[in-house]
Amino acid sequence: MRLVYDGQPIEFEGGDTVALAAIRNGQHPARGGTLCLAGDCGNCVATIDGTSWVRTCQTLALPGVIVARHPDGVNPTMLGPDTAADIDVRHLSVDVAVVGAGASGVAAAAEQRTAGHDVTVYDAGQGSEVVGTFAGPSLIVRTATGIDHVHAHSVVLATGAAELHPVCPGNMLRGIYTQGAADAIAAAGIDLGTTVTVSTDVARFEAAEDRPGAVAVVVLRDGTRHECDAVIVAAGSAPRDLLARMVPNVRVTIVGPAAAAHDLPPAPTGGVICPCSKTTVEDLQGVWDKGFNELELVKRASLCGTGTCQGSVCGPHLQAWVGERKGERPLPFTGRPAARQITLGEAAAGYHIDTFRRTPLHDEHIALGARLDKFGGWSRPWNYGDPVAEYWAVREGVSIGDVSTLGKMMVSGPDVVEALERIYPNHVHDIKVGRSRYVINLSERGHVLDDGMICREDETRFLLTFTSGGASVAEMWVRDWIETWGLKVHVLDRTVSHGAINVTGPLAGQLLQRLGVDAASMPKFLQHRHLDVAGIPCHVMRLSFTGESSFELHHQIHHSRELWQALLHEGRSLGIKPHGLQTLFGLRLEKGHVIVGQDTELDSTPRRINMDWAVKLDKPRFVGRDALIRTAPLPDERRLFGFTMDGPAPLEGSVIRPTTGPAAGEVVGHVTSSWDSPLFGHAVLLGWQKRLPHSDVVEIDGREARVSAVPFYDREGARARM
Amino acid sequence: MLACEVTFERLAGWRVIAEPSALDTVAWAPDATPVRISPDDAFVIGGPAPGLSDPHAIVTPEHGFVGAALTATELDHLATHHIEWSLPATWPALAQGQIAGVPAKLVLHADGSAQLLVATAAHHEMADRIGATPATGGTR
Repeated sequence: MRLVYDGQPIEFEGGDTVALAAIRNGQHPARGGTLCLAGDCGNCVATIDGTSWVRTCQTLALPGVIVARHPDGVNPTMLGPDTAADIDVRHLSVDVAVVGAGASGVAAAAEQRTAGHDVTVYDAGQGSEVVGTFAGPSLIVRTATGIDHVHAHSVVLATGAAELHPVCPGNMLRGIYTQGAADAIAAAGIDLGTTVTVSTDVARFEAAEDRPGAVAVVVLRDGTRHECDAVIVAAGSAPRDLLARMVPNVRVTIVGPAAAAHDLPPAPTGGVICPCSKTTVEDLQGVWDKGFNELELVKRASLCGTGTCQGSVCGPHLQAWVGERKGERPLPFTGRPAARQITLGEAAAGYHIDTFRRTPLHDEHIALGARLDKFGGWSRPWNYGDPVAEYWAVREGVSIGDVSTLGKMMVSGPDVVEALERIYPNHVHDIKVGRSRYVINLSERGHVLDDGMICREDETRFLLTFTSGGASVAEMWVRDWIETWGLKVHVLDRTVSHGAINVTGPLAGQLLQRLGVDAASMPKFLQHRHLDVAGIPCHVMRLSFTGESSFELHHQIHHSRELWQALLHEGRSLGIKPHGLQTLFGLRLEKGHVIVGQDTELDSTPRRINMDWAVKLDKPRFVGRDALIRTAPLPDERRLFGFTMDGPAPLEGSVIRPTTGPAAGEVVGHVTSSWDSPLFGHAVLLGWQKRLPHSDVVEIDGREARVSAVPFYDREGARARM
Repeated sequence: MLACEVTFERLAGWRVIAEPSALDTVAWAPDATPVRISPDDAFVIGGPAPGLSDPHAIVTPEHGFVGAALTATELDHLATHHIEWSLPATWPALAQGQIAGVPAKLVLHADGSAQLLVATAAHHEMADRIGATPATGGTR
């Protein structure tokens, strides 16, 4: 039988691992370093059938397998041919998990079974390799078919002990084996030639001129020299406790040699201590001299122990080296998953990125050629190909936008007014039935969390809206406060149950009339009504984010597509176009409406964003009131401003520098929103100035910008009331 | 990844938010299947709008969920491959949590079968992740 090794076929015997097959053919499985052939070190890793970082000593040789040694001194790409989707993940619950099927594992399993437990044994040699332990406790197990996430009531680690490798000059030569490796090689019938067996008494290894890179002489500490073809190192062992060190504060039991007390080897004085990271003893001294005088710091600064074997080889030597300098034996460093190299696909398998929801109009947007983007946890149309045309449709005709993503919450109960008065800084009790009001939410520190509308349905029932990105947090926020106060209020988050379409533009009302809404029942600005639009029951809210006359049509989501299509069909003769977020953001910017989270910062107060008008400090109580009263007398450097400048609009995030005054030339803030206004023919911006005195003229993107009153468009608000 | 070959269907019903005591005493219609999401919250699949003794109760049509009926075998497959948490020990029961990373509910029946409930807005993602077929349609 033959496999392909570095491009050449080599013979192997049945039962050989890839590493043994290489040794059988006079090859060294890696460029150098001691071999343990027990899976502890990373010195035999290679790329096998396209997957890099595979331990060849743990991989059975099979005909036709393609093996490529990793390039010397260069890390290969850490990718395997698989992806997470290719890998079968199982989530399993077990009673007792015993890791290791050696003598101590067998004994531990028997003991647990005698105690009445259901025992599952995991062992790499039996096809179930534990590569990580986590709190829970839980185990990540690699099997022949995929990855198992194992949740155990208890875990027993019986992982045995790992043989120590020599650390001295020349220890990266080929031809050095641990005793266990030598035994395995002998058992495979492979002759290593003349061997010398040493312990911790090695001073250095040397190569011969005719065999560069391979050990030819071992020099002991007493100065004696021994010529050889190979060296066998019997230097003792240390607990194979990497899995235990990954969960230092979690209840796992360690038994057998993995838990045994052990002596550290002599502190090394030269050579490569960490074969994985190629860290030398001289490297350790270098970082030590820079002040990294704790074991964990030496590890991080030198990378010793951060490689393939996660310290299995170098850990005891590093403990000895640091211990010698500190005068006491340090604890071993924390273990990090994975204990064995897994592919990125294996690492990612079973884990998911956040869900991005689809609105009920998702397919309609795709059919209209929308470019979709992800905002606030939703897939949303960014534009439909021509954002400027979409803009003019809103400003001069009629347009529709999908605002189904808005947070929508129904609240009802005898204490609902009291609850809302406490939650919101604006007045609530005087909102008449059928009317609505813009509101902001504040944190206890008086910082703006979110904004939206309050619509009064009847004396004890309101509909609240929130931003798309803030909806889920808002629900928790409202529920938490209502529970804290012990008020009787029912809460229903219907964000995903109700769609919403914004019909906006000077012809918006006309379009609704064409779809069956009579002029007399059309809600006026900041009114809301329950009306049928195209025969579909809608909660129609008259408000305006775009600056134009706007009607939000809230409805049950199973009607969304029908309503959308009816609006497009009936609006065709009015020149209707749908608009996406790109246009919406520009439209609202011209009106100076902030987007919470984009124009605000985590500590933005209403004063800082010029929204004191939305706060009524004459109210006796609301969340954030105490903080606002406490900070009101204090000077506040931070302020959000409107700016205008000649185009093109600078990138959002561009820095703002005053051109005059004490802070001239210094960065005092950044642009939060930026838009080339088709109407004005220049750029309009929002941005922060965070140094006093605030400047009227600043430099943005190397050009002059001037502070401007906000809103930029329709300061009287007449168009929204048309 | 092995597929969970089920098909989601749109569900129609009622969402009822009320005092727990009021929900406890509702006489549900024979063709209604109530799912008690929390003490004050029920999703009722099918049937007419229920009457409640709580004058402030919120009773509203609910079309925000899709569902998939699972046989015991399909549930076992789903639990093994896509659910990181343990199912309740005694059934019937309602279990709620992430399935394949998507918030979901499982109505577990005494015979070992189950109904999987997911928000319509997120079910495409779940269908993609578990290999199921998403619901079609969307108009009335």
